[in-house]
Amino acid sequence: MNDLNKDAKFYCRPFNYSCLTSVVLKLLSAWIPACAGMTCLLIFSPNVFAIGSLTITAETIEHDKGGAANALLHNTRAVIDLDRSNMITIKSERITHDDAELKGANIVVDLAAKTTYAIKAARISYQNLEAQNANIVLDMRGNHSLTFDADVKQHADKAWAKAKMHCLLPNNLATQAWECDDGQFVAARINLPFSLSVLPQVKGFIANINLKNANFSDEAGLHAAEKLTGHLTVVAKQEGAALQFNAALNWQTGEVFWQPLYFANGGHELQMQGNVNGDVLTLDSATLKLDKVGDLNFNGRMNTKNYKLYALDANLPSLNLTEAYPLLFKPFLGKTVLNDAELSGKATLNIHVVDSQLKAFKIKLDDVNIDDKNHKFAFYNVNADIPWSYDDAAQVHLSYNNGTLLNMPLGRTDVKAEVNRYSLVSPDITLPILDGAFKLSDISAARINDNWYWHLRAALSPISMPDASRAFKLPIMQGKASAEIPLVTYSGGTLTTDGAITLNVFNGMATITQLTMQNPLGNAPRLSADMQLRNLDMGSLTRTFSFGAIEGKLDGDVTDLEMVNWKPVKMDAKLQSSDGKYLRKISQRAVENISSLGGAGATAAIQRSVLRFFKDFNYAKLGLSCTLRNDICEMNGIESTPGGYVIVKGSGIPAITVLGYNKTVGWGELVDRVKRVIEGNAELIVK
Amino acid sequence: MKKLLLSVLVIASIFTANWVAAAADLEVNTPAITALKASMQARHNQLSPFYGAGAIGLTKDGMIAVKDAAAVPLSQRGSLSGLVSAENADRANLYKEIATANSHPEWQNEIQSTFAGRWIDKAQSGWFYQSGDGWTKK
Repeated sequence: MNDLNKDAKFYCRPFNYSCLTSVVLKLLSAWIPACAGMTCLLIFSPNVFAIGSLTITAETIEHDKGGAANALLHNTRAVIDLDRSNMITIKSERITHDDAELKGANIVVDLAAKTTYAIKAARISYQNLEAQNANIVLDMRGNHSLTFDADVKQHADKAWAKAKMHCLLPNNLATQAWECDDGQFVAARINLPFSLSVLPQVKGFIANINLKNANFSDEAGLHAAEKLTGHLTVVAKQEGAALQFNAALNWQTGEVFWQPLYFANGGHELQMQGNVNGDVLTLDSATLKLDKVGDLNFNGRMNTKNYKLYALDANLPSLNLTEAYPLLFKPFLGKTVLNDAELSGKATLNIHVVDSQLKAFKIKLDDVNIDDKNHKFAFYNVNADIPWSYDDAAQVHLSYNNGTLLNMPLGRTDVKAEVNRYSLVSPDITLPILDGAFKLSDISAARINDNWYWHLRAALSPISMPDASRAFKLPIMQGKASAEIPLVTYSGGTLTTDGAITLNVFNGMATITQLTMQNPLGNAPRLSADMQLRNLDMGSLTRTFSFGAIEGKLDGDVTDLEMVNWKPVKMDAKLQSSDGKYLRKISQRAVENISSLGGAGATAAIQRSVLRFFKDFNYAKLGLSCTLRNDICEMNGIESTPGGYVIVKGSGIPAITVLGYNKTVGWGELVDRVKRVIEGNAELIVK
Repeated sequence: MKKLLLSVLVIASIFTANWVAAAADLEVNTPAITALKASMQARHNQLSPFYGAGAIGLTKDGMIAVKDAAAVPLSQRGSLSGLVSAENADRANLYKEIATANSHPEWQNEIQSTFAGRWIDKAQSGWFYQSGDGWTKK
């Protein structure tokens, strides 16, 4: 019996129940040369040991099953004391079998009870798993059971987790189900109570895992679940080098945060069928059913080591955008303009990926409504057919029935364009706005290195100013406005115009040149431009802004205008009456208002005695300028006087001259004064 | 002689640094600064409970960071990281705009470190701030 391994033969069955169990069984079976695995252990009988006590000490005990797998016991001492207690005690410094290792093993086999095997091991290692302080009890009385509890971890981890499990073993371990309940895995930030049922199959298994009220979180708290209850069924079978599987995950209840996605409730299912061969995962078919959102069908191949996607075909036949937007889209939209909207309608999506490269997709939108909660834009009844292919050019089509953009009503619009890989061209797009239209032509856009670049020409056909002013919440202006924008270029967040934008307003013309904008839809849009006003009708201008009537024409030059968040921070502005012959009249009211713009120091040289009786005065010239720097406006008029400047220069009878004395005024204060004037609360300061 | 020159240079640079901090008008107002401050003020009500719960803290470079996301219910964790990145974007812009408004864009880093100290001084007790290698509860 000392020569344990001479003729001993045993083999591992195809299914490896648990490496640990197999080590025990094989070691025990090694005591009887004819023994072969578990089967012989069950017929093991104490009367075999009628020879009394026996102590075996060996430096190495080796069991060779003739193949690659060897069982080795190092520095082992086995005591069999059959007379007193029918106990076999095996103490071994190290036991190895295949790639499993037990250190400091202490195995007690109670032969009197015939049926209980207790194993304590200081250290067990198997592949990249480690266990310490392991207690394994194999109870063969009545219903056979295996109880396991130990500190476990993967080799690379520093912290130990506690794992325990209690399994009822079937009579035939290889063909009947192992039922394990009371399973628990506890580590820092992880508590997974589970039950497990495993039915061994020829070259495979069927496993059912139930999680009940499980919690887990990574250290940063960015991947976490709470009160997670669900069910996983896996059918796996080894076929050649590949492991075929069929898995169904049913997430019943519980919340999950998986940065940046958050699922408040369960009700979702995932089914996958495929195989794992080496590092390659192949999904023949998979369906993700997201409750209320839609079904995603996909298949593909992926490398599980480096996550390289060899192929992926995904198909979303009907996506409910109302539910999908907050759940799936919004978390990825970050600080984009689309991040705070409401969506409704249906979408269809197909994606085709080859070798990690998006080869083709197709998006269809069916009666979609998009509503920005900050009222920057809204588009209703959006229908779209957007095919895209890496290799071929495609025609895209998008339309909406109506909408608003920065409060401006938009009419029905059809967009047709040709998309060629990362660029888009369209000869013309007409965007009906109010009663006119914005006509875009020569449109070309490209996405290069994650930045958009585009250019287009634009023309605004006449729109009604009363409607436009209402849309922009401005005082109601009369007349019509039209514009020509020769070339607009958008490059890396900056919008630039070439040539002059001309606007026809107040029977005159406004020309904007050198217009550039940065982050036009962002948080602090920045604008710079030069502006020229020619022959604006002051009559309709002053009526519009309730300024007090002035008859005449106005010219203006604003150079180096810089606006941040639509407020001027820098400019050289000059407004003055146009040259030429026309009626020049200013009302008493306007005189008062202009005076109050100059602040408390401003005076109107109205001779109280006579001129107060007149409602209107003649003027030769009027003008006011502001050089804005650092929030301070340096004011001036049409000419300087000692200690001040002339704002209105009188002419004829009755004539009037308005002088300003405030040379500097805070921009905020000036804006407040204009507001007060317009609201009709101006105080008259007359000398 | 070299030593003397060096120490003069060192002293000069210390004074320059002090002068920069002293000369920068940290309360300067431009529309961009007003807009940024308003946006940060509006966000503060949302951030305040997260400071109190120890989920976020003030960093030593004048920004904020997630200290312990687990202190926040799962449903709010997505908005937590969004708020933190939005706040940091505003803060970076604020420092830049204050430097620009002072007509010294190159002061941005010093303005930022001055603010770092001010944020921590103004923090409520119980909030966390970065000191040395770790977090300290005020």
